[in-house]
Amino acid sequence: MTASLSRRRFLAGAGLTALGITTPSLLLSGCSGDSGGGAGNGTGKVDLWLDIQGDANQKYFTDNVAAVFEKAKPKIDLNTTFYKGEDLRRLVQTALQSRSGPDIVRGPSATQTIAWSKAHVLADLTPYAEKFAWKDKLSSWAVEAFTTDGKLYALPMRVDTMLLYFNKTLFAQKGWQQPTDRASLEALATEAAGQGIVPFGSSNVDWKAAGEWLMTVFWNHYSGPDALRQALSGEIKFTDPVFVDAVALIKSYFDKGWIGGSVEKYFSVPSQEIGANFGKGKVAMVPQGNWFMSQVGQYFGAKAKNENDWDWMPVPALRPEVKYPLFEMGIGGSLAINEASKNKDAAAEYLNWYYGDRTAALKRMAEVPSTYNIPIDFADGDIPSSIDPRAGRVLTSLNKAVASGQYGFVTWTWWPPKTDVFVYEGLEQVLTGKLTPAAYCKQLDQMFTEEKANGNLPQLPAKGSGK
Amino acid sequence: MTATAAPPTASGARRARWRAAVVGWAFLAPLLVLNLLVVLGPSVATVYYSFTDWSGLGPATFIGLDNYVTAFGDAKVHQALLHNLVWFVLFLTVPMAMGLLGAYLLSQVRRFQMLFRALYFIPYVVASVVNAAVWKMLLSPTSGIAHQFGVDQSWLGDTSTSLLSVNFVVDWHWWGFLAVIFLSAMQGVDPALYDAAKVDGASRWQQYRNVTLPGIRPTMVFIVLMTVIWSLKAFDYIFIMTQGGPAGSSEVVSTLMYKQAFNEYSAGYAAALGLSMTLVTAVILAVYQWMRKKGWEDE
Repeated sequence: MTASLSRRRFLAGAGLTALGITTPSLLLSGCSGDSGGGAGNGTGKVDLWLDIQGDANQKYFTDNVAAVFEKAKPKIDLNTTFYKGEDLRRLVQTALQSRSGPDIVRGPSATQTIAWSKAHVLADLTPYAEKFAWKDKLSSWAVEAFTTDGKLYALPMRVDTMLLYFNKTLFAQKGWQQPTDRASLEALATEAAGQGIVPFGSSNVDWKAAGEWLMTVFWNHYSGPDALRQALSGEIKFTDPVFVDAVALIKSYFDKGWIGGSVEKYFSVPSQEIGANFGKGKVAMVPQGNWFMSQVGQYFGAKAKNENDWDWMPVPALRPEVKYPLFEMGIGGSLAINEASKNKDAAAEYLNWYYGDRTAALKRMAEVPSTYNIPIDFADGDIPSSIDPRAGRVLTSLNKAVASGQYGFVTWTWWPPKTDVFVYEGLEQVLTGKLTPAAYCKQLDQMFTEEKANGNLPQLPAKGSGK
Repeated sequence: MTATAAPPTASGARRARWRAAVVGWAFLAPLLVLNLLVVLGPSVATVYYSFTDWSGLGPATFIGLDNYVTAFGDAKVHQALLHNLVWFVLFLTVPMAMGLLGAYLLSQVRRFQMLFRALYFIPYVVASVVNAAVWKMLLSPTSGIAHQFGVDQSWLGDTSTSLLSVNFVVDWHWWGFLAVIFLSAMQGVDPALYDAAKVDGASRWQQYRNVTLPGIRPTMVFIVLMTVIWSLKAFDYIFIMTQGGPAGSSEVVSTLMYKQAFNEYSAGYAAALGLSMTLVTAVILAVYQWMRKKGWEDE
């Protein structure tokens, strides 16, 4: 059969094609109502995009997470695609906006996931939370951080805290004691710097947002969690001297060359080099997140051609009013379900398995330090004995901190998105002398107040002991 | 017996022209569809979003010219524009000067000329990600080239050198390409002009100034235009090497736009910044075209 194409039909067809192509991109943002998704029948293919780096780590996930899940749920095919870390959030965000992307969404931490939730690109998980009793399985403080207007829109992926890693061998050689307060910390830093050793290794070359790790440490251990709670709930301002002084303190440490060696080196020496110097004993301590635990080992021992060993300690209290030990709590990333997914039930089955099988979850925590620390309730005795004692100590310390209410707040979970970006962008201005600590806090407060008014803040955990 | 064809009527000629046009459009159609899909669609959307308060996700709220008004008074935008200007001046002068010098010197070489051409060209064909990553290491204050000679300068970490350092790398990547292009243009200059100049007693410099440079003027003008456009859309090297830092010292409008869209959830504002830069480029192109019509290129 042949078909003839008249000129009029050709032109009309071309015009309609052009219209059809150009209009969807404009309409995308407006179509928040009908997602085109569906619950499915709880079986079939479920897509998951992940940013796990390195062949070994990806293999671990494939063999010990995906394969184990598929064995437990043979009717579901978990189709995992590994992406490079920094780009994944942007890729996912773009995909969500065009109503496509994976069924299970690996999202950012609570503060930024709110924006996704407000755009209605994430499925409401509340019915699944009720069906699978997730509130009984997960720590309530972490679940509440992802709950807005009574609706759960994501699940917390990893518990984050800040630690002070130290070269244990160097400390033993020098006869240094672990500092617990500002005086002992500064005495140690002075002595190390005097001997040509950089007291604190840090760099923002590979991760621009590394500055917020430092601000998290100084605001929690100088200003203190009580002041932070008051500021985050709007009772006091971020312009309060207790916050300004913390920024001034961090600047003074930089000016003395204690952090990274100098401001310029902090901006230009990559973290691999910092790590190598840490292993060699040219850097004494590294303030870093618990996630660093799965990488720090590569800089020590025979593999790194040295005979040194590492350990971690809680960050010392930088003001007498702040308790010691204190662990700031936060969430590194989230897992949600795409509103446009046509297989939501199967995706929820995966989430339920991932968070609900305590034995498997604890095994993962033990085998890959800190990477799989999901916020589930467990007693210290539940932790497998095979765990590296240093990683085990993180878990028991965090349990104790939550139970005793001695915990603080990481910026990337509890600060609203734009303010969170300013925390590290603005810090660069302070360190280079373009902003005073007071002006930095003033701008921060203005941004925070605006974002808070727009309802872009996650729920803070209740004061006191938590679960 | 011979047969002669009847002369085509006016309507027959029109029909033939139409048929030719339809065939032409039919061949163009796939490309047009692709362009509509990946160029025109997003472009129209960008214009629309630039007038909205849009986070990059979900519904957008129409706010008229607010984004443009904000951009006009935004100190970050002013700083980024200034950096674009510095970048533009350096990117226009340094590689051009080096390219012209390199091409001239290369034109004097008879042996291994192809080898040198290839060597000059390599930085241009290597992916920017690779070039940037290598230079990041070479510029390290603790293990880079300068450090080996006892200079402990943080080229990329110092606010006074970060923009210049990245620009240096981009110039390095670009000048060899220009040298090869200029060399090709120089080889197209009529040798008789040089002979005539020599007869008139012109020195080498006079030959270069009065014969070579006018001879390659169209190529130079084209390269200037390319350079202007490239410098306005500078992004990759800066993003990889400094991400606009430290403290915004190497921020240009494109990196600022990217951060606004993806880090600060201000995609509407980012669209306005992008469109503003497009307008700046359009004005420059219009001036260029106007000057060409005035015969500037051929003077």
